[in-house]
Amino acid sequence: TAGNKIFHFGACRVSMSMTEIRTGFTAIKANIQARDPIRTLSILSYPHSLHKVKSSDRCCITHHLFDFYVDKVFKHCKTEDSFVNRKVSSIANSFLSMKRKLGQCHEQNQCMCGQESAEKFQQILANYEGLNVTSAAMKSLGELDILLDWME
Amino acid sequence: EDALLPAPQNISILSTNMKHFLTWTPVIVQGETVRYSVEFQGEYERVYANESWLPISECSLLTATLCDITEDISATVAYNLRVRAELGASRSPWGTLKGFFNRITTSLTPPVMKVIADGYHLLVELEDMGPAFQFRVLYWKKGQERRMQQQVVKEASSVVHLDTMEAGGDYCVKAQTYVEAINRSSSFSHTQCVRAQGDRSMWL
Repeated sequence: TAGNKIFHFGACRVSMSMTEIRTGFTAIKANIQARDPIRTLSILSYPHSLHKVKSSDRCCITHHLFDFYVDKVFKHCKTEDSFVNRKVSSIANSFLSMKRKLGQCHEQNQCMCGQESAEKFQQILANYEGLNVTSAAMKSLGELDILLDWME
Repeated sequence: EDALLPAPQNISILSTNMKHFLTWTPVIVQGETVRYSVEFQGEYERVYANESWLPISECSLLTATLCDITEDISATVAYNLRVRAELGASRSPWGTLKGFFNRITTSLTPPVMKVIADGYHLLVELEDMGPAFQFRVLYWKKGQERRMQQQVVKEASSVVHLDTMEAGGDYCVKAQTYVEAINRSSSFSHTQCVRAQGDRSMWL
């Protein structure tokens, strides 16, 4: 189907086109994950999976994660492969579009941040900063399907 | 860059039904074949990645003056586009599209539709316009416009059964496309009416 989904985060309703992001990511997933030599570590899932986040905190953690990918991750994912770079651009621009929509919820106080989501996000940042920036960015990009699966 | 080779002019976008093309007027150098290369820059690149540009490999060293940018315009944000001419080692300055391009401005045409009365079954066949498209189909019994019914078709891959018709009744159908990614619809197609007649389709 066209793949736009209406995400309900409490009172916050956000329409997001997931198919285009998944299509872009699937096209480069193997290439990106091959650049990640550290298989024993996870940025998003260590020590706990995103699935443990309470539903009331989902909007906030999603908002933080979009900011995280747009502000920190994508810019360090430039490669020598033009095709990969174009797909990363496609995903990044889609994230930017969705980050803006989520931001509107955040401004309307419909995206409240509880303690749990704050702690979870701090853990993700710690995992990220525990690696050198390119490795951390590539690993985070390689884990995008974890985020997409959790969101859907 | 070589000042001899002028930048391409009249750079514009042709965008219909979520297919987007960049076009420009050719740079003429007598007796020579001038080639062109196209690059794009999304809002992400502008705001977060030092205003970097990305080449479109399918439109590098192109002899045509048309580039399909659909694959790269894959988010509903503002894009910049530019093209330059190349002749041997010479390269022209970049010619940049005036203003941004956002796919939300694509023009949406009514869908091509075929209405079929298969015995008493009212069917509709819709043109497959790609994964971004859904269809809103309205149908009614002639004279009973106020009892118009609707069906949303998410994929145009097969014939859609709309209704079971009463013998001798005239039934009319019209449809429009809907693109969720940009939250816009086309205008409606022309109305097509058929009549249920045993097992023969009867066009009106």
